Amino acid sequence: MSSVPSRSEIAPLPGGVRIAPEVARGTWVVIPVYNEARAVRAVIRGLREHFPNVVCIDDGSADGTWEVLRAEAPHALRHFVNRGQGAALQTGTAYALRHGAERIAHFDADGQHRVEDLARMATLVADGSCDIALGDRFRGETAGIPTGRRLLLRTAVLFHRVTSGIDLNDVHNGLRVLSRSAADRIELTADRMAHASEIIDLIARSGLRVAQVPVTIHYTDYSKAKGQSWTAGFRIIFHYLVGKVLG
Amino acid sequence: MTVFQIFLLSVLSLGTATVLLLAWRRSMPRFAAAVIVAVLTGGIVFSVKPDLTTAIAHRLGIARGTDLLLYILVLAVLYGFIAIYLKLRRVRRELTLLVREIAIREAVRNDEDASKRARGES
Repeated sequence: MSSVPSRSEIAPLPGGVRIAPEVARGTWVVIPVYNEARAVRAVIRGLREHFPNVVCIDDGSADGTWEVLRAEAPHALRHFVNRGQGAALQTGTAYALRHGAERIAHFDADGQHRVEDLARMATLVADGSCDIALGDRFRGETAGIPTGRRLLLRTAVLFHRVTSGIDLNDVHNGLRVLSRSAADRIELTADRMAHASEIIDLIARSGLRVAQVPVTIHYTDYSKAKGQSWTAGFRIIFHYLVGKVLG
Repeated sequence: MTVFQIFLLSVLSLGTATVLLLAWRRSMPRFAAAVIVAVLTGGIVFSVKPDLTTAIAHRLGIARGTDLLLYILVLAVLYGFIAIYLKLRRVRRELTLLVREIAIREAVRNDEDASKRARGES
């Protein structure tokens, strides 16, 4: 049994970021994991020092991810067949809400997000400054973002300006914090990657208050190889539009 | 009557008989059976009198009977694809809900509450 720090032991974060223990405790961090056995262990260890409730969903991995999660994750769930990132997020969210989560955080398994960014976003949602906090890498000091990736993400922003009439800087950042009521109102039905667009649509419709928080993304060779390509982008748009029409 | 006509007729008749039998035994909805029998009967009529398709085509402003059949086929295939796609979407959705429920029920806990329970504290 791995040890999990108790309330009094929550460790200080880099950069002088502080998070109240009760805020950390009420923020359930949902991490969809698909074939990330190499990277996810460090991510979980980095998180659970500060956030006791980390929910990892193995989305039908074939690389020993489940063994890592079962040993390391405070809450380890498993899709026995792959259902996609959106489905895994919704599974983790449903689980956390059933266990009384006050906030839901989305965090990536590949190590590109920083725990201190999450802590700042969780605090913003907890003190009522907003209902949803979205990570914004373009105002943060994101190092090493490849030009092609930057262009792709900018295109996604334009796409949403047209389809949802919403003006956000960074619509496809995987780092988000939602209040319980916001998470309750979103049911991600897009199983695969179009879920990011579903969240944006919900925000546009619901009138929930959004904060865009500058965050830093670590672009390592590992995470670059895992990111979405242009062809994937078009596939996502297709799924998103079909979903919009068919409901 | 050509060899192909005989072949087509026997296949279509056999199909019609099967559908009628299934409907008779109530293992197929009456409406579906009626539609299928109508299509198969049309096929039988057209294979006996191929020129009939051309006559109908002319009435609809289409030059040849084969073209008429081709257009009907295209529409039928398109309908089939859309119907199957919608069905597939529904099945995928249901599969996700099933996988989700199993994942939640069989969650493994390593958190503080779980270790307290393991130590026998409440």
